[in-house]
Amino acid sequence: MSTQQEVFEIISKQAKIEIDAVKPESTLKDLGVASLDAIEVIFDIEEHFNINLPNEDTDFDTGTVGQLVEAVDRQLALKTAQ
Amino acid sequence: MPRIVITGMGAICALGHNAADTWQAMSEGRSGVAPIRRVLPQRLRNPALVVAEISDFEPRAFIDEARLPFLDSFSQYALVAANEAIAQSGLSFRNERAARTAVVVGVGVAGEETREGFYQKLYGEQSTRFHPLGIVRIMGNAPPSQISMTHGITGPTFTVASACASSNHAIAQAALMMRAGLIDAAVVGGTEACITPGLLHAWEAMRVLSPDTCRPFSANRRGLVLGEGAAMFVLETLESAQARGATILAELAGVGMSADAGDIAAPSDAGAAAAMRAALTDAGMQPSDIDYINAHGTGTVANDSTETRAIHQVFGEHARRLAISSTKPMHGHVLGGGGALELIATIGALRTGIVPPTLNYLGPDPACDLDYVPNEARVMPVQAALSNSFAFGGLNAVVAVRKAP
Repeated sequence: MSTQQEVFEIISKQAKIEIDAVKPESTLKDLGVASLDAIEVIFDIEEHFNINLPNEDTDFDTGTVGQLVEAVDRQLALKTAQ
Repeated sequence: MPRIVITGMGAICALGHNAADTWQAMSEGRSGVAPIRRVLPQRLRNPALVVAEISDFEPRAFIDEARLPFLDSFSQYALVAANEAIAQSGLSFRNERAARTAVVVGVGVAGEETREGFYQKLYGEQSTRFHPLGIVRIMGNAPPSQISMTHGITGPTFTVASACASSNHAIAQAALMMRAGLIDAAVVGGTEACITPGLLHAWEAMRVLSPDTCRPFSANRRGLVLGEGAAMFVLETLESAQARGATILAELAGVGMSADAGDIAAPSDAGAAAAMRAALTDAGMQPSDIDYINAHGTGTVANDSTETRAIHQVFGEHARRLAISSTKPMHGHVLGGGGALELIATIGALRTGIVPPTLNYLGPDPACDLDYVPNEARVMPVQAALSNSFAFGGLNAVVAVRKAP
């Protein structure tokens, strides 16, 4: 399964929407995931991949979920390099 | 209804171990925020984390050695501040005044240092030998109890817990008891000792701690900076203060409280505005009477824009004439003690005509379009002021103060 698919599954579960509704260009806000729910999505992603996502990579208002997937990939690459 | 005045104040925080040093730093725009020392930074998510820690504090210099084993830091801070406030007021409670005086203290997280120390023993060291005074150190009512015991105050004595609004809610409870005729005087304020590894991790997980520093209302603000400390005040009736010839620091003119009934974390402009309006109404003031607002101003994106909208709603045209500042870049966000420390700043502005600045301001954010007294203190007359506190859980409490009559 690709990182994108895994991340989208986590988001769709939290947002209680079909996974097909999650598009790379959507923001969490667009998907109705706001405030602490968004923080929880980030936490679920961190737990799932066992990574830490810096605050800079978690802008819920303007950052897209596509950018979130890229951030996860960056952290996974860092982890592999270590 | 009696007019209520403040005749004593005391403080301890990253800016100093008494109210005078604390105000001096605030009026000069000096910050107590620095890289964390108490917790090993490599144990944190952000090793470069900054906080506003109290430094060079020797409790024995302030508190009877026999009492110290009973005190977590949050009680030590409250007692240091209360002792100072009571000494300044000149009131004694070893007489019939004892039963007619209240002690009300705002507390957010209570005896967290002691609690985490126990958990370290239990889960970290697999030890079950706990210090026997743990319970009386941890309990949320420890600070008011210790103040009442130290000074012989026997009236209504309790803790108020509403997270970051605790101090202002505490002040409101005392004021309302005084107006109801239950008491003639009160020792009130708030305290917190929240710089512990467990709490820092919990705050980091919520993603509200700033990775660099606290810059309220500014462009590129990135979150809050935690601080610790306490401030306490002595309230009494104007009549009593005048009869004693006491120095009156300020009049506590009104209090306002509200709940957002919305999100557990995201603030609401309507809730904040309701509390400010309630405080003005209670004080018998018009919005145009206010010269200065000591803002909640945490430095998070959400709080500062929401608070700005709320100020616009309440003050209309007058909003642009207000001086508004957040002193949190200096003393940090002290949670349950925050409102009380900020009242030190607000009273300082009333008494000296110096409005403390909002430090670390980089430039305007379109969502924060008012006068935040950026970076430099301002000399201006302040006749009346509000001090705002808004808590997670959507709980708001605002205090209105007026220059001493």
